[in-house]
Amino acid sequence: MRRNHLTIAAASCVAAMALTPAIASAKPTITISGSTSVAPLTGKLLPKYLAKGQAGYNKAKFVIYQGGSDIGVADVAASRSVMGEASRDPKATDPGGLVWNKIARDAICLITNSDNPVSNLTAAQVTAIFTGSTTNWSSALGGSTKTGPISLVVRTAASGTQDAFAKLFGVSTVAASAAQKASNGLIQQSVKSDPNAIGYVSEAFTSGTNVAKYKGVSCTLINAKSNAYPAVRNFWYITKGAPTTEAARFINWVKTSPAAKTIIASGWVPLS
Amino acid sequence: MSTTARNPGPQIVHKRGRDSVSNWRLIDRLALYACWAVGIGLCTVAAALIGYMCFRGIQYMDLSLLVTNPAVGASQADSGGFLSPIIGTFLLTLIGTVIALPFAVGAAIWIVEYGRPSWLARAVESAIEVVAGTPSIVLAIFGLLLFSGSIFEPLSFAADNGAVVGKSFLTAGAMMSLIAVPLIFTSTREALMQIPAQVREASYALGKTKWATIRRVLIPSVRPGIFTGTALGMGRIAGDTAIVVVLLGATLTLEPQGDIPLIKTLRGSGSTLTSYVYNNSPAGEGNAPQKAYAAAFVLLILILILNFGIDKLARRSKKESV
Amino acid sequence: MERSVKDAGGGQSPAAKMEKRAEYSLGALSSLTLVLIAAMVIYVLSKGWPSFAHNGLSWFGSSGNVDQQLSEIFNSPANPKYYVYKIGTWPLLYATLLTTGLAVLIGIVVATLAAVFIVEFAPESVKRIVSPVIRMLAAVPSVIYGLIGILVLVPFVGNEIVSGGRKQSVAGVVQLSGASLIVAVVILTIMICPIMIAIVADALRAVPRGWTEGATALGANRWRVMWTVSVRAARPAIIAAAVIAAARAIGEGIMLAMVSGSVGFAPNPLDGLTFWFEPLRPYAATIVDNAEGLSVKPFGQTMYAIASVLLITALALSLGGAAAKRPLRKYGVRL
Repeated sequence: MRRNHLTIAAASCVAAMALTPAIASAKPTITISGSTSVAPLTGKLLPKYLAKGQAGYNKAKFVIYQGGSDIGVADVAASRSVMGEASRDPKATDPGGLVWNKIARDAICLITNSDNPVSNLTAAQVTAIFTGSTTNWSSALGGSTKTGPISLVVRTAASGTQDAFAKLFGVSTVAASAAQKASNGLIQQSVKSDPNAIGYVSEAFTSGTNVAKYKGVSCTLINAKSNAYPAVRNFWYITKGAPTTEAARFINWVKTSPAAKTIIASGWVPLS
Repeated sequence: MSTTARNPGPQIVHKRGRDSVSNWRLIDRLALYACWAVGIGLCTVAAALIGYMCFRGIQYMDLSLLVTNPAVGASQADSGGFLSPIIGTFLLTLIGTVIALPFAVGAAIWIVEYGRPSWLARAVESAIEVVAGTPSIVLAIFGLLLFSGSIFEPLSFAADNGAVVGKSFLTAGAMMSLIAVPLIFTSTREALMQIPAQVREASYALGKTKWATIRRVLIPSVRPGIFTGTALGMGRIAGDTAIVVVLLGATLTLEPQGDIPLIKTLRGSGSTLTSYVYNNSPAGEGNAPQKAYAAAFVLLILILILNFGIDKLARRSKKESV
Repeated sequence: MERSVKDAGGGQSPAAKMEKRAEYSLGALSSLTLVLIAAMVIYVLSKGWPSFAHNGLSWFGSSGNVDQQLSEIFNSPANPKYYVYKIGTWPLLYATLLTTGLAVLIGIVVATLAAVFIVEFAPESVKRIVSPVIRMLAAVPSVIYGLIGILVLVPFVGNEIVSGGRKQSVAGVVQLSGASLIVAVVILTIMICPIMIAIVADALRAVPRGWTEGATALGANRWRVMWTVSVRAARPAIIAAAVIAAARAIGEGIMLAMVSGSVGFAPNPLDGLTFWFEPLRPYAATIVDNAEGLSVKPFGQTMYAIASVLLITALALSLGGAAAKRPLRKYGVRL
């Protein structure tokens, strides 16, 4: 007797699952993947966008994966994701057929441990440190009392921040011995815990560390907005060809609505 | 003459005499001390591990964490709790066990009771051994490969552009069941083999068919074995991270897909305690060691409860193991 | 429906048909595992084949900085004709062999001593504590081992044990952050010990009493009896335990990804003591670290190639372990 009940239950589960494609989902799912720097911004924008009274209420479901800007580009090009996030500008080697929408700007700050309060780094010093031609602090910062080996903390190959860093700071190849981290948060944590560390992060991730001036200019959102700070990069949303209805609605809202602009201004640089 | 206490029989008191340790050669004494050192050392390591986890867990644990959902936040203070990872762990363990049970118990019954042709039986046994030894990260990426095909769209969901994502509770649960199958299989098979032939023969003598014997006599009596195996399997599933990280989508909260209640949660993505701990540790993408400790503490308690539950059950059955 | 039926029926009565159906459906259900394993091996191997095909045997050799090769593969141009596949995974293979080999070697010694302790020397009260404790160690998930490793052991090693001078001595080649070979081996050994202890202890207990009593009668003390009789007799179990633990150690990805350093570096034994503090990254940890890049085609194929190496090794070790356990059946040891 019990066995029959079980069979009926199992059969109805299977039937329900088989029927699911037949019942068309009311809301499409937009999958987003890519930059770990843009993801927190998207994470802040989406709840506002989907809130009652806003443009996106009850229109679509969003799922965010990360992985790095290059993964976002690859996923969109291969139609694995609907939308990609990138924190670097388009490269010549990127796949074709992609539409890049600029949505915000961001500053890349150089950070060191609080016990190592480096106040300013010149372009030459940055190149020497990050390419590995200098390996200890005393020779990197002439005239400073800081000693010890330099611990480089950089981003992984898939990172758009890594590409942006290379382009904006003029460091074409980072030292092979540098420790590679998967996100801004991890670089922030490594630098916080290692007195000999130096790394680069998005401006939103600098709390608890010492932020060094680059070429004499402080890394702040104000300086980034006025273009006084040289290392400012763009945030993009990427789609394959023209975006689908729901993706277009979201991108449009991010670019034009005042609510979106307030959110962007809270940790990044809005476009206008 | 003194005999060792491990043999059953009359309890012979260990007399001080020719076998007293102080009369042993130096090498033998060193070996004895080494054995003691290793035994006590392992206990110390375990105590340190549990003690430290409890210390940190209680330090960072806050009951509100158990009931709030995780949120995107720049600092640990506003990144919420881990309610949905807890739900995720329960859901995934349930799905994995439900899928694993019929396969494992069915295979055990077939091998012990039928087992014809014998080359097939040996092959199936070896296959289950191999599944037990497969790294879970390999199972995970195989699952990703398998479930990204469009046939399996009902198990996860398709994005707006038609690509099947392949990451959902159902797909992760399907792969998790592979982890539980060897454990349930071994327990059930052991229990079945321990039933003496007379029980089966008595059943046949009373006129029951083989199948009816299995259903009405054997399965009820191996229930403790099945429970033990299931509890072990659930413990392993709850503790696995690789499959979750790759196949569950790692979204902070449960994201149901589709419209059918219950099924839509299963087809959606989410996270579990293990992936939450991994993501918040310095190895994942997050940056919240305090949350990681708290979640790890909850996870540890869960797994210890599951395993001590088995201990009670195992003690009730006759066989003594380590 | 409980009708008595002779087994040799040709399916005439409904009960006999039910019998046949039950047997065949259970058999089919069981064979599904077989089908699954075969499908897994074939699928993963075929997905990873292009990586092997483009590199030949030098896939296992050393042809430059592995991390750099991986990022070049990852940044391959989009045109399939220009996909980059070149890789020499020797540093990763070496790291896998090092961590697994060291963990199993140390683990066997520790496990044998602990098993002897549990079976022979521990008083009843101590035994009641030690046995559940060891079972509990086996139940702790690998992510918790990894968490303690990365939040406690790694900073401890990096800040207290590794001096600035040592770090300076290898600066420019590799960074010593504390995530290193020694932390990986220590935690891995603790993780695989319980499995080995269980198997060896079971085998020690199953040694015929006559043998041990005979040795005692000849005047051997308890340790001697254990060592010369029981442990020797349990040699197949020790080998089986080592093989099974090796399979577990090779497949451990999450914990090693957290504590071994995540750099594709081959630690150099000629560095002396520094050798133990150098970071490394075994195969399974490489897949875990790069699991997000699977969607980029040549990169994904390289990862599947690594996975197929792991799969075939785990297959061989599991079957070997099962074969090694078979002689123990004659002692009545059920493993």
